[in-house]
Amino acid sequence: MSGFEPKVVCFSCKFSWGYLADEASFSSKIKNWIPIICSGKVDAKHVVEAFNRGADGVLILGCPEGECHYQDGNYETKKRVRLLHKVLDSYGIEPERVRIELSLDPEGKRIPELVKSMSATIKKLGPVRQT
Amino acid sequence: MVDKPKVAICWLGSCGGCDEAVVDLNEAILQVTSAIDIIFWPVALDFKYHHLDALKEGEIVLSIINGHIRNSEQEEVAKLLREKSQLVLSFGSCACFGGTPGMANFRTKEDIFNWVYRDAPTVVNPKGNYPQPKSQVNGKELTLPEFYEQVFALKQIIDVDYYLPGCPPPPDLIANAVSAVLEGKLPPKGSTLAPHKALCDTCRLNETKPNKISLKDIKRIHEVEASPDTCFLAQGILCMGIATRGGCGESCININMPCRGCFGPVEGVEDVGAKFVSALAAMLDVEDDEEMRQLIDKVDDLAGYTYRFPLPVSLLKKKR
Repeated sequence: MSGFEPKVVCFSCKFSWGYLADEASFSSKIKNWIPIICSGKVDAKHVVEAFNRGADGVLILGCPEGECHYQDGNYETKKRVRLLHKVLDSYGIEPERVRIELSLDPEGKRIPELVKSMSATIKKLGPVRQT
Repeated sequence: MVDKPKVAICWLGSCGGCDEAVVDLNEAILQVTSAIDIIFWPVALDFKYHHLDALKEGEIVLSIINGHIRNSEQEEVAKLLREKSQLVLSFGSCACFGGTPGMANFRTKEDIFNWVYRDAPTVVNPKGNYPQPKSQVNGKELTLPEFYEQVFALKQIIDVDYYLPGCPPPPDLIANAVSAVLEGKLPPKGSTLAPHKALCDTCRLNETKPNKISLKDIKRIHEVEASPDTCFLAQGILCMGIATRGGCGESCININMPCRGCFGPVEGVEDVGAKFVSALAAMLDVEDDEEMRQLIDKVDDLAGYTYRFPLPVSLLKKKR
């Protein structure tokens, strides 16, 4: 697995993550970064689609618990992620490959760090086998 | 006889229930057979593949094909029928989506062979024989169809003109489909000859479904005495009706069983499991992580439940 660089897709809510940062310069640092208007917009299908298109992991960053700009989008997505863990496990996609983090980081400094630490976890698991 | 349109009915990876559904047309089948000439129907009549071979391209007006494709024989027959037919109707859930046997895609071919020919407690196989596409016996070569790595729906192997889902498809939709072909009143190619909306749209229990379903507990149908007059989801029993195409006549609901999803996804939906997960997540009424974990742990085999019929046509299709 030495040459393996995991492809991690990162969805991050613009209300809590990196809204003070320069999106253009950030995009060059984080591959497959998709800033969105609310983590609640991440449907189960988007996660499944990411794996279908060759992702090795999906990281979702949402607002802190109880602080969703749209009331409870982050909480809804958290439930989706937990259910998805069960479904994806049957496909041979381990729960560690889908992670949700609810926190606040206006400058977005932790985004590259979180992607990096998730990549390290996934490196140990290896790539999602393509069929 | 000469002028009657030729029709073929064929089973591939199938239980025979779809063929039975054709027979279940009862008296109506007599009208159908007076208007058509059935030239191939392996489950009911003694025709051989070479009879098909002898036909001209497009000589069959309609081939009604049921069952999934898992081996090379099924693929060969499907391709032969396609070549000889003007129209192909993908008939039943196995042909349309892979069906229940499609759940085998959660296992690899290797897993399946090891269990069936080595590990299952009832297996006695001291020589460790596994089926081979070719083997030599007394100097002669014997052949078997090749078992593929995964289950395929019909449309993944040949071009399909129309779809009629169901496990099996109900008689009214079969009769409609056959008369549409005979009368030339067909919708655009690629259409599913069934309603477009979800089962809930016509379910008699729909009026008892609250606007917002909040589940504190999830139960399986055998664990409770379900009320026959209340929406299953409102009772905390998972029902696939919200994500499943209607048209079946709610035959499961009518015997107090939740929908299993045999009609496949609602029109336009690609991945029924993902859709159901999103819908179910919205129904879970939990206060904290621990409650969330406990409730979600109670859902047994969520993937099997949601992809019971359409796994081979889901986005991810099979185990990685």
